[in-house]
Amino acid sequence: MSLSESGGQPVANAPLAPSSGDAGVLVRARGVTKRFGGLVAVNSVDFDIPRGSIVSLIGPNGAGKTTFFNMITGFYTPTSGSIEFDGHPIVMKRRNGMKSLRPHEVAALGIGRTFQNIRLFGTMTALDNVRLGANVHLKSHWWDAALRTPGMLREEAENREASMDLLRLVNLEDRAHAWARSLPYGDQRRLEIARALATRPKLLLLDEPTAGMNASETRDMTSFIRKLRAELGLTVLLIEHDMRVVMGISDRVTVLDYGEVIAEGTPVDVRRNPKVIEAYLGRGAADT
Amino acid sequence: MTTLVVKDQDPYGHGIGGWLSHVGAVIGALPGTYRRELTIHRRRTVLLTVLVILLVTYPILNKLFLAEFSRTTFPLPLPDDTVVTFMMIFGIMAIGLNIVAGFAGLLDLGYVAFYALGAYTAAFLASPHWDSVSIVFLANVAPGFPGIHLPFWIIVPIAILVAGTFGALLGAPTLRLRGDYLAIVTLGFGEIVPVVFRNLADVTFNFSLGPISINAQHLNLTGGSLGINPIDAPYLPFTNLVFNASSGYAPVYLGMFLLVIAILFARNLERSRIGRAWMAIREDELAAEMMGVNTIRTKLLAFALGASFAGVAGSLQASYLGATTSDFFTFSTSILVLIMVILGGIGNIWGVLLGAIALTYVDKTFLPYIGQQVQQIAPSFPNPAQFNFLLFGLILVAMMRFRPEGFLPNRQRAAELAAHTQADVEAKVDEIVAVDAEAEVEASIAEDPGIGLDNLGPPPGQAEASGDARAPETIDEEREL
Repeated sequence: MSLSESGGQPVANAPLAPSSGDAGVLVRARGVTKRFGGLVAVNSVDFDIPRGSIVSLIGPNGAGKTTFFNMITGFYTPTSGSIEFDGHPIVMKRRNGMKSLRPHEVAALGIGRTFQNIRLFGTMTALDNVRLGANVHLKSHWWDAALRTPGMLREEAENREASMDLLRLVNLEDRAHAWARSLPYGDQRRLEIARALATRPKLLLLDEPTAGMNASETRDMTSFIRKLRAELGLTVLLIEHDMRVVMGISDRVTVLDYGEVIAEGTPVDVRRNPKVIEAYLGRGAADT
Repeated sequence: MTTLVVKDQDPYGHGIGGWLSHVGAVIGALPGTYRRELTIHRRRTVLLTVLVILLVTYPILNKLFLAEFSRTTFPLPLPDDTVVTFMMIFGIMAIGLNIVAGFAGLLDLGYVAFYALGAYTAAFLASPHWDSVSIVFLANVAPGFPGIHLPFWIIVPIAILVAGTFGALLGAPTLRLRGDYLAIVTLGFGEIVPVVFRNLADVTFNFSLGPISINAQHLNLTGGSLGINPIDAPYLPFTNLVFNASSGYAPVYLGMFLLVIAILFARNLERSRIGRAWMAIREDELAAEMMGVNTIRTKLLAFALGASFAGVAGSLQASYLGATTSDFFTFSTSILVLIMVILGGIGNIWGVLLGAIALTYVDKTFLPYIGQQVQQIAPSFPNPAQFNFLLFGLILVAMMRFRPEGFLPNRQRAAELAAHTQADVEAKVDEIVAVDAEAEVEASIAEDPGIGLDNLGPPPGQAEASGDARAPETIDEEREL
């Protein structure tokens, strides 16, 4: 799909490549709708994430960004629509309604995420937090654990090494044995990313990764996200309110308002889009 | 960069050989380990050492001098061999319940059900109860004796399987429940199982479906309120060593053997990926699920494994006493074990063991002893031994007030319990930090209007107003099931 939609035009209804085996697209969402009772939180959203890209999802508060996030991770089941990840359906239609994979199954497919409000395991060490992220890839059973069989010990040692490497990646190796809770805010954010990386994701979902950070921490985080893509070949989906982060880092930006995609395209296109300006600043601002 | 000191690395290598050398090292390296432990947790280590030495040498001490001292010089409330054996049995139970309640954070109020299942497994497989058949295998009864007689060493694994299976069966439909609801369902299960055992003494039913027809008249399945006895005592095959209520302190060491295995298993589980998953679920079930932990399966595993410990304890109890009735398995036993776990230090294996030993002592030796003394002085005064649960309740209240994490707390659990105030403080600090950061960003935007899309930043007030009435965005919502 093209990265340069003509400026000023909403592209939600523009035809998107229909082939399902598209190697260039990691996440393909079609007509995704989520209703909470009478409230339509997300309304018929079409959304593609190209492999290896950094895509941002922005919009005013309550636009449905996190709801959409939660549908990708299997936490919410969409009311209708389809979501495919790397060729695997995350949402399936069943006779008695929609059925979503459970979050741990989605995690096993290769989607790692962080949370808007940090959700580390506070009284586990930083190392154990990361080791837990790798849980989905560990094969040993409880009887291996109870008897400390050779395979289990080898696996534990490997997991430990890999987790230390991840801590090194986020510069937390010397806090490996500190409780997650005792770490400073910025460290906790990075630890959460390390934990998400331990699930060996293809897609990393970051929910407001720079929330509550000052300008220099924000800059560090931005370059860290770029580094992740460059070194690990990750695809990243961001929810972010800080426009400088969004505009500086994203290949594509999708704007949601009232649960609908009102604009999609490159950062330059989106920031000129009158609908976007209207959504943020109100009618009238766009005309000036 | 500082060199990292890896604390929990396994220095004993891999493989069964590694495991053996691990066990060997635990014994062989005791002085070194002990010194290290002593420097870290001085009081705890001293306390545990005294406890272990007392337990191991108690029978000898008792024989050599304590009993004599108590009789001639000063009357001491000394636990007898039955009480010490029950310390081991309750120790195994407390360690099992600690897996469910301590590691995984699931409140189980019906734990006694699995204890009963273990006891009745032993009763069915080592007694003359099924007197129409005669299966004798490696048991200390004569061949041809009526009933099924399997040795204790086969019964224990079967009891583990039975209790574990029922743990999984109970868990499967109920573990989607949280907190209070789970507690109520387990409470119900704990009541049902003994009632079933009490009432299946006279079963008459007719069943026919096509060619299949089953007819049973007055079938005695469980012995009813009389229970089942005699149950074969555990014995060491090819020796004369029998471990029953009349063989003195021998059963104590049998119990100690099973207890040590229970401790090793629980400890190994705690330090594995399963232990980490349990802790993660206890801390934040949702985040654990999102990080790839199959929470339902992991909780089920905690339930089944925890239950199997009670199966061992139950089969030991029934074989040791040589009889079982449903009266042993009341709700108060569930509560007693739970109090042991809470008082000792929920989440800490040594803590719950201490709780089990201390409470068994108080319940079975100290209170009856006080009761006896009181009866001698004032016969009309109510016997304090009948008010054991009143006393436990008072102790529990006092503990919750002064030391909610238990005698020997688990570090994490202690922190979680202290988190009420702590988390509030941290939340406040975070809030302030966040507000500051926002102000800083806004200030820098004001300074430098040329950067990016600053004019798209949500203007204060307007974005809030339009956002309020819309989609619930926070993930804190309960997952709809």
